[in-house]
Amino acid sequence: MSRLAAPLAVFGAVLVAMVALNHGATTPPAPAAAGTGGRDYAALGNTYLARARETGDPAFYSRAERAFDLSLRTHPAGVDGLVGAGTLAGFRHDFREELRLGREARRAAPQLARPLPVIADAEIELGRYGDAARTIQRLVDTKPGLPAYARVSYYRELHGDVVGAVRAMRYAISAGSSEEGTAYVETLLGDLELMRGRTAAARAAYRSALRDVKDFPQALTGLARIDAAGGSLTRAAARLRRSTNRLPLTTALTFLAEVESALGRRRAAAADLAAARVQHRLLRRSRTLPDAEAVLFEANHGSPARAVALGRRVWRLAPSIRSADALGWGLTRAGRPGEGLVWARRALRTGSVDPTFRLHAGLAALRSGRRGEARRYLTAAVRGAAALSPGARRLLEESLG
Amino acid sequence: MRKLLLAAAAMLACAIVVPLALSSSHREAPGIALDPSADNTDTYAWTAADSPGALTVAADWIPGEVPANGPNFHSFDDRARYYIHVDNTGDGRPDVSYRFSFRTKVRNKNSFLYALPGASGFADPKLNVIQRYSVVRERHRYRHGHDRVSEKTLARGLPVAPPNIGPKTFPSYDNFVNAAIRSLHDGTKLFVGQRDDPFFVDLGATFDGINLRKGTGNQGEGKDDLSGYNVHSIVMQLPERLVTRDGKAVSGADAANAVVGVWSTTERRRLQVSGGRGGHGGWVQVSRLGNPLVNEVVIPLGKKDQFNRTTPDRDAALYGKYVVKPELAAVMNALFGVGAPEDNRTDIVQALLQGIPDLNQHKGVKGPPAVDTIKVNLGTPPASTENRFGVIGGDTAGYPNGRRLGDDVVDIDLQVVAGFLKGNKVPLGDGVDRNDKPFLATFPYLAGPTSGFDSAPSTRVEPGHTP
Repeated sequence: MSRLAAPLAVFGAVLVAMVALNHGATTPPAPAAAGTGGRDYAALGNTYLARARETGDPAFYSRAERAFDLSLRTHPAGVDGLVGAGTLAGFRHDFREELRLGREARRAAPQLARPLPVIADAEIELGRYGDAARTIQRLVDTKPGLPAYARVSYYRELHGDVVGAVRAMRYAISAGSSEEGTAYVETLLGDLELMRGRTAAARAAYRSALRDVKDFPQALTGLARIDAAGGSLTRAAARLRRSTNRLPLTTALTFLAEVESALGRRRAAAADLAAARVQHRLLRRSRTLPDAEAVLFEANHGSPARAVALGRRVWRLAPSIRSADALGWGLTRAGRPGEGLVWARRALRTGSVDPTFRLHAGLAALRSGRRGEARRYLTAAVRGAAALSPGARRLLEESLG
Repeated sequence: MRKLLLAAAAMLACAIVVPLALSSSHREAPGIALDPSADNTDTYAWTAADSPGALTVAADWIPGEVPANGPNFHSFDDRARYYIHVDNTGDGRPDVSYRFSFRTKVRNKNSFLYALPGASGFADPKLNVIQRYSVVRERHRYRHGHDRVSEKTLARGLPVAPPNIGPKTFPSYDNFVNAAIRSLHDGTKLFVGQRDDPFFVDLGATFDGINLRKGTGNQGEGKDDLSGYNVHSIVMQLPERLVTRDGKAVSGADAANAVVGVWSTTERRRLQVSGGRGGHGGWVQVSRLGNPLVNEVVIPLGKKDQFNRTTPDRDAALYGKYVVKPELAAVMNALFGVGAPEDNRTDIVQALLQGIPDLNQHKGVKGPPAVDTIKVNLGTPPASTENRFGVIGGDTAGYPNGRRLGDDVVDIDLQVVAGFLKGNKVPLGDGVDRNDKPFLATFPYLAGPTSGFDSAPSTRVEPGHTP
C-alpha cells in the first residue's frame, strides 16, 4: 500500500495519541491536536520540579511555572497541568492556590484520584484538618498505595497517633513507588521512630532509604540526628556536610550550623547559617512564600522581633498547627512567653506529640511562670528528644536542669 | 499494549522522579505516579501443548524491572493481594478466583544482602531474604445479586523464586528456582517469582518523534525495548474441572463448558484515616488486566482509576462507547489515512469483549455481554505450529482465543483496529515479532530472568524480513 509509506509511523502516532488521550482529559483532544499540548508541557513542568530537587536550585520553579502555564493555556481543564501547577503552588507555600488548583483538577476529572493528594496537602497546611481527613479517606478508599498511605500516616502523626502513623508508613514503604519515592517514605518512617524514641528502628529505616537512593539527603540528615543525639557530633557534622552538599536544604544547613557550633567550630557554623540565609533568600526570590520554617529560623538565628512579624504573616497565609508553633516560639523568644504559650497550646490542639512543639510550649510555660504545665510539656518532649536538633536539645536539657 | 506508557515512563530516564519541595519542613508525600508492585502488566491464558486438559495462566506484575536493581530488589508487596480470576459463565463476574498473599522473611537482619554467594536452595541460610506465599481458592456463587464467597486455603509457605542477582550469588539459578515449581493435591501446578518480561514491543522509535527504523511496519528491524527487563509472574496450570462451570473436563470445542474468561487484579488495604487507632478496613482493587489492549489504549486516562477499580461485568455500561467508537481509529486515519472504520466497531467489541461465535464465545449466555476477560476455548487443540498473528493469521488456538506468550498482540491489535475483521487488511506492525528470549517448552513456560550481572536492557533488534 503506497499511501501507507509509514505504517510504523501509524503505530507511533497511535502511541503518541495514547499519551494525549490517556492524559486524563475528560474529553479527549481532537486527533489533529494529538501529541502536542497540555500533557507534554505538564510533563516538562514536572521535569523542572525534579530538576529543582536534584540541584537544590529554586530557579527551576519559574521554569516549571512557565511550563504549567503553557499547559493550561493549551488545555485549561487538563488534569496534568492543574495538578502540576497545584503541586508547584504547594512547593511555594501558596496553599490557598494549591487548594484552588487541586479542586479545579478534581472538577475536571472527578473520577481520578490524582488531584486528591494536592487537595489534602493544602488542607493540612491550611489547618483544615477535618477536610483533610475526608479527602485522605477518599484517596485511600479509591486508590490505596504509597501516596495515600503516607498521608494517612501524616494525619495520624499530627493527631498524636504515632503507633498508627508508623503502621501506615510501613504500608507506604511496602507498596513502594519509584526508588526516590520509597526512600522518601522510609526516611519519614525513620523520623517517626525517632519521635517515639526507637533509635535502632530509625537507623534501620534511614539505612534502607540509602540503599534505595545513594546519599539520599534526608536519610543522611536522619542518621546525623541519631549521631548528634548519641553525642557523635563529628560524625553528625560529616554526614550533614554530605547531605547539604547534595542538596542545600535550609533545615539541614541550620542543623549543621548547630552541630558545628556545639563542636566549637564557630566559623563553620557562621558559614552554614549564611548558606541557609542565602537559600531562604533564593526561595523568596523564586516567589516562595515564607512558612513556619522561615519563622523558626528567624526566631532562633535572626531577630525574634522580625520572627513575630513574619510569624503573624505566616499564620494568615497558612493557619496550621505548624504556623501556630512557629509564631508562639517567635513570641517566646521575643520575651512575650505569655502570648507564646497561647499559640503553643494552639499548636498542640490536635494532640500532636511533636517534641519541638512540646519543647516550645514547655519553655513558654516555664518563662511565664507556669511550672506545672511546663514540666508536663517538657517531660513529654524528652521522649522524642532524639528527633530534636542540638540547639533544641540543649534548651530542653537546660530547662529540665 | 498494556502498560506501555508506564514502562516507557520508567525507562525515559526516570522522568517521573518524585518532585519534593526545596524547603522541606512541610510534608508532601509523592503524588500519584507509579505503583509498580500493584501494577498488572499482562495476563495470558492458553492451553499448553504439553498439557492438554488444563488451563494455563500467566499473570505478570511490576513493569520494567531492571535486573541489576539491588540491593533492595523488586518483590511482590507483602501487604497487597494478587488475584487470578476465572469467569466460566460469561457474565464478567468471577466464579473461581485464586488469591495470592506474600510474606517476606529476612533470616539475618544485620545483613542487607539478599543472598550470600553460592546460595544453593531455599533452605540454604545463605539465602538471606526469602519471600513465601499462600494461595487461596475462592468459589463465588451469586444469589440475588450477592456474591457468596467460600474459600479454601490450598497451600501456605510456598517459596517465591528469588530475583536473579547473578552467577556468583546463584551459581545455578535455573536449578534453584525449579524448586519453586509446586504441584498441589488437586492437580494444580504453580510457579511464582521473577521471570523475563515476555512482552515485546518497539517503544523507543515511537517516542523519538515517530522515528522509523524501517519504512514499513511488519518488516522487522524494530528494537525490542522490553528485552532484558524482568517482571514478577504467577504461573498456574489448572485441570479443566477446577475452572469449568460444571466442574468437569472439557470434551471438545463445542462443549457447553469449553470457554472460560480470565483476568488478573491487585488489591490493597483500605486504611481508616482516623479513629480505631491505626485500624484498617477492607480491600480495594487498584489494578486489573484482561485483554492487552483495553486497559491502556481504549480507556481514556480520565477513567483509568475507575476502570482499575471496577469488575468486567460493568464494562459494557461504563466503557462500551470507547470501544464502539475508538479514538485510535480516528487518529490513525487523520494522520495516515489507513481507512480504518471509525464508528460502529462491533467487530472490535466482539473480538475482544464478547468472544468470536463458535470459537471463544461463552455458550448459553444472552448477549453475550461485553466483558474485558481473555476468553479461551479449552477445547481448541493447541496448534502444532504457532502463528504469531493468532486467529487473524489463521491459527485459531491463538489470540484472541486465549493469549499465548508468543502472540504478537501489538501487531494484531493494530491490524484489528485498522479494520482487519471488516476487510481492511493493512500490514501494520511495530517491527518486533518475538520475545528476546525463547519461551520454555514446559512449565512455567516464561523464560528465566536476566541476571543482574548480565543486565543490558533494551538491546535486541528484530532482523528485517518481508511483510
